[in-house]
Parts: sequence; C-alpha cells; structure tokens
Amino acid sequence: MTAADVVFTPVRRLAEGVRARRISPVALAETFLDRLERLGPRYNAVVTITRARALEQARRAEAEIAAGRYRGPLHGIPYGAKDLLATSGGIPTTWGAAPFKDRVFDFDATAIRKLEDAGAVLCAKLAMVELAGGMGYRQPNAAFTGPGVNPWNLEAWSGGSSSGSGSAVCAGLVPFAIGSETWGSILSPAGNCGIAGLRPTYGRVSRHGAMALCWTLDKLGPLALTADDCGLVLDAIAGPDPADPTTVDRAFRYESAAPPGRRFRFGVLRDVTDGCEDAVRENFERSLEVLKGVGTVEEVALPDLPYDDITRTILFAEAASAFEDLIESGGIAELTAPEDHYTAYARDAILAKDYLKALRLRGVMAREADRVLARLDALVAPGRSMVAAMLGGEVRSAIRGTARDVMGAVGNGAGLPAVAVPNGFGARGLPTSLQFMGRAWEENTILAAARAYQSATDWHQRHPPKA
Amino acid sequence: MSEPEALRAEVDTLFALVRERYGSRLNADELEAVREGIVGIVQAARALRAVRLTNADEPGQPFAAYRADS
Repeated sequence: MTAADVVFTPVRRLAEGVRARRISPVALAETFLDRLERLGPRYNAVVTITRARALEQARRAEAEIAAGRYRGPLHGIPYGAKDLLATSGGIPTTWGAAPFKDRVFDFDATAIRKLEDAGAVLCAKLAMVELAGGMGYRQPNAAFTGPGVNPWNLEAWSGGSSSGSGSAVCAGLVPFAIGSETWGSILSPAGNCGIAGLRPTYGRVSRHGAMALCWTLDKLGPLALTADDCGLVLDAIAGPDPADPTTVDRAFRYESAAPPGRRFRFGVLRDVTDGCEDAVRENFERSLEVLKGVGTVEEVALPDLPYDDITRTILFAEAASAFEDLIESGGIAELTAPEDHYTAYARDAILAKDYLKALRLRGVMAREADRVLARLDALVAPGRSMVAAMLGGEVRSAIRGTARDVMGAVGNGAGLPAVAVPNGFGARGLPTSLQFMGRAWEENTILAAARAYQSATDWHQRHPPKA
Repeated sequence: MSEPEALRAEVDTLFALVRERYGSRLNADELEAVREGIVGIVQAARALRAVRLTNADEPGQPFAAYRADS
C-alpha cells in the first residue's frame, strides 16, 4: 500500500480495503500521521498529533479485523477532531485559544467515544478559530495556532471556525474530520476548501464534552471528501445521550442506497443569490441545471421576518453567558485577534426581554421554515455567498452583519440539517459550494440529494495540486 | 422623538452601562468599536420588537421539568 493508494480516497472505499484486509489500519494510520506531521504546519491545520493513541487504536483494529470482528465502515479509518472536543489520556483540548492551550480533560467527549466504539482512529486534534469564533473575530488570524490556510491557495483562509477540519480533509491529511457549527462553522470551511460538510439537526449528535458556545445553537458534524462519507460518519456519532439532554431519542441509520431513479423536489428561496459574488451565482445556476436532471426546482418564499437578527441575538447573548468568566475577568485580552479582546463587552447591552423575543420568534421561524420544507426534499442555495477571504483581509460574516446569510440564519436558528458540497471554482482558484437544507431529522434525504448531485459532477474528485 | 434619535438615546444609555463596567480596560478606539457593536445590537433588538407576537407564542426552546429518576 502506498500513500497514493489511500490519500484522497473516500472513507467508503478505504473501508472496503480495510474490511477485505487489502489495507492495513496500522499502515493507514502511519500514512496519515506522516502527512499530518509533514503538511499540517503548512496549513496551520493541527494543534496536537495523537500518534500514540492512533497507533494503539490502529493495532487494535487490525487485530480485531484479523480475528473476524469487523465493527463497520469506520473501523481502522483515521480521522481528526476539532480541538473543542474533550480527549482523555493527556491530550490537550485548547478550544483554539491561548488561555486554554495547556488544558487537559480526563474524559472523552461522547462523539470521540462513539467514534472509538466504531473503531475509528483518532490521529489529530485539529485547529480552530479561538472559542469557535464566539468573541467576534474579523480576520483569519484568530487562533493561537495561526490563521487556517487554504490548500487551494496558500494566501487564502480555510474558513472557520472548523478551520483545521476543513483544510486537513481538503489536503488529504485525514479521510474525515469532526467539526462544529453554531452558525456557519461547518459549511464555511467545507465550502472554502471544496469538500463536503454536514450540519446535523440540532439534537442529533451529543455535545457532551464539546466546548459550549451557544447552548441552543451548537451542533457537531462531519467534514469529508463526499456527502456519502458524511453519512457514514453521522451514522456512528448520532444518537441520544443522557449526558446531553438536548439530544433526541430518534434512531438514525444512514441510508446510502436511494431508490433507483428517485426524483427530488428542490426549492430556491427568492433572492437567495443577492449579494453573492458573480462566480458563486453562476456556479449555483449551473448546479440548478444539474439538479433539474434529478428533480424539479421551484422558487419559494419565506415570510418577511428578521431572520439574521433572531439568530444573531440568540448567539450573542448565549456566547456572552457561556464565556462570562473569561469576559468579565478580562481574560479575553489573551486571545489572538485584537478585536476578540473587547468585542464581547458590547453584549452586556442585550436586554433579557429582547433575547426572549428572539427565542419566541425562533418558534415562528421554525414553523415557517417547516411549512416551506414540508413540500420539498430540500432548499438549495450557494453554500457561501463568496469564496474564501484572503489571509490579510477581513472576514465578512452574517454573524456581524457584514454579509447576508438567510439560509444560515434560518437553518441554525431553527436547528435544521444542511450539507454542503463543492460545485465549482471562483476568484483566485478558490472553491464554491452548493448547500442542501432539509426538514428537521431529514439528513438521509439531503444526503441522498447531495449524492445525486455528486454522482452527476466531479468537483469532489478534484484536489489541491500541491497537497 | 424621531427614530434615529430614539436609537441614539438607547445606544447612549446602554453604552454608558458597558463603559461603566469595562471602560477602564479599553482605549478610545476600542470603546468606539464597542459602541458600534451596541448600535448593531440595538438595531437588531428594534427589528425583533417590531414583530408582533401573541400571548401564546412561547420561546422556541421550552423548559422541561427535571427529575433524576425519570
């Protein structure tokens, strides 16, 4: 087995090789550990390489498979985890933030434990924007590990806040990664890096052991080379957890075999491409033509509500409370981005009544979104309105009101699942993306739609030439 | 009071609170940035307040009673 045999190979195909014992989990782990060590620094993608734990897990997987105890498609497959998931064994969990760079937990987050149960091999804790971007950063250089670098263009940002999860998968440093999204933090790095990213329904994946940014918005999900791989990973990490009371007792089994010839019904929000870069709009229009080959596309509308203001108010208020100690103590002055030293102070100005109004309007928003989605398989839209920012530039963000993102505001505010997949390239050779957003708990539907798109296109088979 | 004047008055009041709490840590540029942040927060709040809801419109995140053995 050579690196060329396995790097940029989807999890599903790696799993076939591991199961058939054509691919050794130990050799697989060594290959990706080597790439993490050699190439990780180029992209500022890695916080900690977990070599000892990885090799122990890989040897165990190899022995189990040799003994006929195959656990499933993640058995023996390397991965990386955003460094906001607690890991035991002396492995630091830094939240991307200098004040926590030496902090160690004595337990594994539920998602880490579930992946271990599935036989996956933890190779690295991956870089992220400090505190998942919750302190109001405006630039890529907002982590003690440096700005996340985009493998497609080393002068561009990999996205945030799951920066390393995006760049590590994109550069072939790991076959898949776990990220988190409060508003945009999975779909943004997936879109910027030209890979697939799945934001599950709120409550689908336990957040026990994950850094809390906003209790009612945070979700964990996979980033991988294909939508299909995202489904395989979600199958392993989904499920109720007594340690996270927001998880819901709904079974999830990934259904990778869609009925042959299935037709989809897609909706496009009116004016959804307003404010998009030209290439983003053009690639989206081409994507719609592809989707018309597998279904219908119709324009739909949501009622006029202040969607961005609803989700933004919830995010700001909860983040201010989640990091109350760090903010009030002045500890935020130790963060990397200068604007993270003071931006959060303004959030003391959010009145309780306004936060509650946002929560009440969230209920209206969720009902209206479900009313529209009930007639559809998915709403489709550009994953991002622009390609990745340059490293020295400003990050435009709907969270701060410097970009427009109705899909993100509604999807995150209402806790709806979405998957982003690459759909072309725009300025400076950077990827653009297409997102499919579905009703709550309809991950299988949006993944089937994304798979249908990817089976008709080859954007997901293109990889950075120098990676 | 006109709409812009009402916005400014609310921002001034809330900014005074934030400056009282944290002003000693911040330079003039940072204080101005915090004030701009408060302008955004107040604009968002006023957009939320402009939407009328009924008494029955509860928060989207309902509280659940807790019992350890259930």
